[in-house]
Amino acid sequence: MAVPQVMPGTHIHMRRISRRTLLKSSAAAAAAMAMRAPASARQAAEQPVHSASSGPLRTETVIDCHAHLTHHSRSAWEADDRKLINAADKLGIDQLCCSILTPRRPATPDGFRECNQWTADGVQRFPGRVLGYCYVNPGYGREALEEIRRCVGDRGFVGIKLYNEYTCTEPVVFPIVELAIELGVPILHHASHSHYFVDDQPRMSDGGHLAELARRYPEAMLICAHISGGGDWEWTIKALRNAPNVWLDTSGSVTDEGTVDMAAAVVGVDRVVFGCDSSMTAGVGKIRGADLSAQDKEKILGGNMMKLLRRRRS
Amino acid sequence: MIVDVNAYLGHFAFRQLRHNTTDLLIALMDAKRIDKAVVTSAAAITYRNAQAGNEELVAEIKSHRDRLIPFAVINPFYAGWQDDLKICQEDFGITGLRLYPKWHNYQLSDPQCGELVNAATERGMAISIPLHVEDNRQQSWLLNIPDIPLEEIVELVKAHPKARFLLLNGLGYTRSPLGRKDSGLPSNYVIELSRLSAVLANELGQLIADLGADRVVFGTGMPFNYPDPALLKLEVLDAADADKEKIRGQNAARWLRL
Repeated sequence: MAVPQVMPGTHIHMRRISRRTLLKSSAAAAAAMAMRAPASARQAAEQPVHSASSGPLRTETVIDCHAHLTHHSRSAWEADDRKLINAADKLGIDQLCCSILTPRRPATPDGFRECNQWTADGVQRFPGRVLGYCYVNPGYGREALEEIRRCVGDRGFVGIKLYNEYTCTEPVVFPIVELAIELGVPILHHASHSHYFVDDQPRMSDGGHLAELARRYPEAMLICAHISGGGDWEWTIKALRNAPNVWLDTSGSVTDEGTVDMAAAVVGVDRVVFGCDSSMTAGVGKIRGADLSAQDKEKILGGNMMKLLRRRRS
Repeated sequence: MIVDVNAYLGHFAFRQLRHNTTDLLIALMDAKRIDKAVVTSAAAITYRNAQAGNEELVAEIKSHRDRLIPFAVINPFYAGWQDDLKICQEDFGITGLRLYPKWHNYQLSDPQCGELVNAATERGMAISIPLHVEDNRQQSWLLNIPDIPLEEIVELVKAHPKARFLLLNGLGYTRSPLGRKDSGLPSNYVIELSRLSAVLANELGQLIADLGADRVVFGTGMPFNYPDPALLKLEVLDAADADKEKIRGQNAARWLRL
């Protein structure tokens, strides 16, 4: 079985934004850092940062909990994947938890198997940088469960990605959640809450649905995707206040001031995980801008996700 | 010098804003090393009588005119807008406008809007247009307000070649004539970067290549937005230092006649 490559302190060359800079709540220092020569920036990146955790868990690794490699139907997929890694290098992101979705949903078994094979290839092409999520359509129960066992068990994928084929409270999803519990891996679930019906995503899940699923399966580790691109983020944060086994992914293109601060204040900083979902400067900038301590930012940037990934049972 | 052409003060009807008083915004600007900011009233977006928002803004920033540059929100379909424009410029010393056609329920192609643009241009005022205020997916149940399509902006800049436009909170320019120097459009607009990508698709870099570094200006959208993502774009952008300096503040200073 391949071992998940969750490697603390991954050494990254060519990094432009150092961890210390990334953690600064004031951009005054950030601007100063950005003006320095790359060698100085890298040197700063390698400075030990005091750990928020105890024991062997180091929290220096910055983990994007929500990323995507490119579907191979795009002719530029290889270059696009390289751009993602280059962007991560520039922004000081050590590891990216990636999935590939089918261009059209609902995904067929052949479609999601193909995507996961390409994700596995990506894990090999970018060792130590790309971690795999297994994407499935729960509607194909047997095939979906087999695919999760193959990806998590044999390929070392770190979690499961579910999209919008079914609302997460529909019974067809439950076997997937039960298998995730058995394997000890998180589920990153697409979610959004708009105050109108989203015609093209009729089975969209929202924070309320995820809270309901979390109550049904308190052992599950659920990640509510992109609070900063999933509609009314204040609604979502409040809906998840009392769902202790749901983590909030900060990704998305929306950069509304106060989002990360409110998430940390309402659900607790231990349940907030950093993500970009391809909105790279938005993702990193939100964390930098949040009025939180460096210790709290360390948790959000990687410490919390690291803890989740280390609950793996196999 | 960093000049933010896209900032706000006051309350917004649908979400609590922080850093939305003069003192708090100045403190945020100091923390981020932003020297000057163009500010408008966030309340004026939803006030029926936008001039009340302009009055609040001018009173709020009275002792900080060296850092905060007020722009007025004017609705050309509201009674007395000509008086408001005159008062804003002659009494309040305001040098530019911010227009909200979708929120104020008019079209940029309406003759009344054309009158406002012409009147402001004759007064030497710049005209900024946010292409959206907040993400559509999070809009209140009371609202159904679309972003301004770039096609409507194209027609506007063509119709008013002598005007000076600032396009805020937009993206997708590289797929529009607005994003190309050779498109035949007048050079009467600059594009603010807060929603442009600086990595992956790198629309910001593409705009610098296709339209020119002289036509891109820095803006954050604060305090609606964290200012950091916009600052970060300039940090990671692969561009000459001279071009970055233009974008940080030189272009805005020229466009705003600071």
